[in-house]
Amino acid sequence: MMFQEIWNPVVLGFFLWFAGIAGMGSVAYAMMKIFKVEEKLKELSVIIFVSIVLALVFVVADLSRPLNMPFAILQSLLSGTFIVKIFISWMSFGISVLALLLLLSFLLLLRHTFVPGLQKLTDQKWYLVLTGLIGFLVVIYSGFLIANAPGIPFWNNALIPVLWIFSASVCAVAILKILVKNESITHFLTRSGLALEVGELVSLVALINVSLYSGIEAAQESAYALFLGPLAPAFWLFVIIIGVLVPMGLGFVLLKKEDRNLALIAAICGLIGALALRMLVLWAGIPIPITL
Amino acid sequence: MRLAHLWDQSKCIGCGACIAACNAANYKSTDKPNPTWGGLQTNIKRIVFDIKEKPYLLLVQCQHCENAPCVAVCPTGASYIDKDGLVKINPSLCIGCKYCMTACPYGMRWLEPVLGLPEKCMGEECQTRIKNGLQPVCVTVCPAGARAFGDLDDPKSEINKRLKSGRVIKLLEYKGTKPKFFVVVGR
Repeated sequence: MMFQEIWNPVVLGFFLWFAGIAGMGSVAYAMMKIFKVEEKLKELSVIIFVSIVLALVFVVADLSRPLNMPFAILQSLLSGTFIVKIFISWMSFGISVLALLLLLSFLLLLRHTFVPGLQKLTDQKWYLVLTGLIGFLVVIYSGFLIANAPGIPFWNNALIPVLWIFSASVCAVAILKILVKNESITHFLTRSGLALEVGELVSLVALINVSLYSGIEAAQESAYALFLGPLAPAFWLFVIIIGVLVPMGLGFVLLKKEDRNLALIAAICGLIGALALRMLVLWAGIPIPITL
Repeated sequence: MRLAHLWDQSKCIGCGACIAACNAANYKSTDKPNPTWGGLQTNIKRIVFDIKEKPYLLLVQCQHCENAPCVAVCPTGASYIDKDGLVKINPSLCIGCKYCMTACPYGMRWLEPVLGLPEKCMGEECQTRIKNGLQPVCVTVCPAGARAFGDLDDPKSEINKRLKSGRVIKLLEYKGTKPKFFVVVGR
């Protein structure tokens, strides 16, 4: 069993995690603002901006030619190749939406901190819809980025982008649960979080199950590595138990009566699970063996 | 023009001359290890199978696919298919995202440790040789005549003659990559 060593699972795991938090965090910000839930939006805008910056730091850290990046992208843009590539390569699409989210979230941050006058722009409905849409695209791109790598059959699976959306949404709800103390909002977050965790669990089970029975040896080996193989202890402990079952169990308790400490534990567990999930999915990738 | 490689498994004696020649011509005979595959820094990967105690050997390199995933996923256009049909890399456009490496179903790219560039067949020296009307070094040095290279669109090319006379397969053809690396498995 030879796991892929091309993309660093830890570095890119953090990238995917921060991109997920920034992306679905932006969706949450836009929805809260549109539905006039003015609760901790300043703190959320800081988290979105810091997350997107950290996501970019981690993704650049895994490049083998980072110093060539500005010149290469500029040259590709000037020749028009990059524009065409946006419609073909998820990497080009991702670079574009990450850059856009960086700009949009920076303006949100300024609006809540040093330049309140920016609210004339950032509180416009079209700006909020655009921010939410770009945030969603950042999350879904990071799933397709992996799913569209035909060299690694386990990743080459339509369930990865779906799983990423559920998992990143769990992260956004977890961040809000940490920030917000208003009981009526936290109760709504508890219910939403529970539904998302169920969706995440179903996607996870489907990913492992479909891969195990896919008939493609490398995908089967990857799924087995997570399910019962060398990555299983980390997968079961961090992803299934800490990441899904504990927040789900606490969610049912919180449905009856909200408790700040339990809500914090559930939120932190959800965040740890989402990070572990991304690292382990990257780790478990096994290239196709070549035979005659 | 669609330049392509052929490797005749039934003629190959496994001497490794093609691998050594590729290392000498394209990587100045460096003895530094290949960080991705292990072994020498070369564009030809040697894969040995031991199926039911009857070992067999595969020498694999870039398939110069007509529907190359590495070209499709490259964000800047650094990986491209040239007019001669070969998949090439423009180093000035490469940001080192390694998406091409994860996209290649054959795993035929390796990361050059100093420049951080994903390397593959053809190396620079072989490209120069082809421009000058010569064959790639792996084809030239093969003592068993197990290799051929040429234009698939030229009916008189050596590769077309050998494609007609042997039992030929393409690797991982089900992936839809339309590879142009042909393996002769018998007469």
